[in-house]
Amino acid sequence: MTLTQDLDLWTLIVNASFVVKAVMLLLLAVSFLSWMFIFRKWMTIRSARAQTEQFEREFWSGNDINSLYQGSVNNRHNIGSLERIFEAGYREFTKLRAQRGTDASTMVDGARRAMRATYQREMDHLESHLSFLASTGSVSPYVGLFGTVWGIMHSFRSLANVQQATLAQVAPGIAEALIATAIGLFAAIPAVVAYNRYSHDIDRLAIRFESFMEEFSNVLQRQTVVRT
Amino acid sequence: MNATAANTMFDERIDPGRITSFLLAAAMHLALFAVLVFGVRWQNRPPEAVMVELWNEPPVAAPVVVEPKPAPPPVAVRPDPVLVKPDIAEKAPPPKPRAEPPKAPARPRDEEAQRQIREQLQREQTSFAVEREQQLLKEQLARDADAARRRGLLDYESKIRTKVRGNIVLPPELQGNPDAQFLVVQLPTGEVLSTKLVKSSGHRGYDEAVERAILKSSPLPKPDKVELFSRELRLTFRPKEKD
Repeated sequence: MTLTQDLDLWTLIVNASFVVKAVMLLLLAVSFLSWMFIFRKWMTIRSARAQTEQFEREFWSGNDINSLYQGSVNNRHNIGSLERIFEAGYREFTKLRAQRGTDASTMVDGARRAMRATYQREMDHLESHLSFLASTGSVSPYVGLFGTVWGIMHSFRSLANVQQATLAQVAPGIAEALIATAIGLFAAIPAVVAYNRYSHDIDRLAIRFESFMEEFSNVLQRQTVVRT
Repeated sequence: MNATAANTMFDERIDPGRITSFLLAAAMHLALFAVLVFGVRWQNRPPEAVMVELWNEPPVAAPVVVEPKPAPPPVAVRPDPVLVKPDIAEKAPPPKPRAEPPKAPARPRDEEAQRQIREQLQREQTSFAVEREQQLLKEQLARDADAARRRGLLDYESKIRTKVRGNIVLPPELQGNPDAQFLVVQLPTGEVLSTKLVKSSGHRGYDEAVERAILKSSPLPKPDKVELFSRELRLTFRPKEKD
């Protein structure tokens, strides 16, 4: 019994016209890629959030900034985005401080610029492939619809030179054409959901990064005031 | 320098779980495919219990009841001894012992023999009556079966004709209602092997349209009962079903 069912689905796909088959293949590839990115982004964002939390805890627990910086530099291959921002800012700050004659606001501004640059890079990394999910979500239903319309056109054309038109003559063609829409929707729905979810998560991470940058600038400012 | 350091740092980044996500996506699609194949009931047909295809009618079961025929010899034997006796006397002695026994009891048992014969006749008559009754019954059954078969055959042919008719593209200049007869050779699957025009309708366009339609209708519908299938079908087509 399962064999005939399998055959039914299979024959529906095999009997489809070339364009419909191409559309189905394309949508299958897109769906596969989008699922891959969904899982990959999910893991990336999860680890980014965990690392951010861990670093914030470390930073605000009153540790010495210098030792924190040394730890980050020694361990730079597996640190989170926020730690990278901190590292870039503090490196710039120490460099500027080493040069005699720079005033406090220049030092803080330099550190802030360095942090901003690292922040942009980190955001770019976090947001990579998200646009793919977005375009999958918006385009693949249309591609599926195109395949379906094409298939239905095909099956109606075969109806043209028949005298007694019955539903049975068009039904299989329409069913096989609708598979294209089904695949398109299957690719689109998770992509849209994941896109919305991930862009929300990334926005929240970005807000955390930005507020950390502000707070860290304040900390640096205070240090310069203490020095001078 | 700072920028280059940051750049190398950036380039070294690799997403965690590249392979894991690939495998997860593959698993996801396999699961979906499984749901599609096993979860959705794709146009279930009624279960076909028997898959044997009979190409010919199964042999009619031979009547098992064999009438125990009362042997006719007794009837023949009685006159025999009388006629044969002189021959036997003249000829060889060996047959004698065989001929003698009937002769000896013949006279004292004359009445009894007659009675026996009568009984015999009676029995034969009754058995004849029974046999005839059975014969009649069998004929009746055969007629019924024949009628059913013919009906099924007509049904089958009309099913084929309906399908073919759906594929006929009538030539526009056709007039009247000529009929064309075709001999269609098909496989047991209903696939059309060949068609031959047996009787032309007199209109070439129509003949060709019908032939094309028959070829396009392959596979032809199958009969309700497999024994109705025949390899060669003689089909008649008219532009209009009824005059």
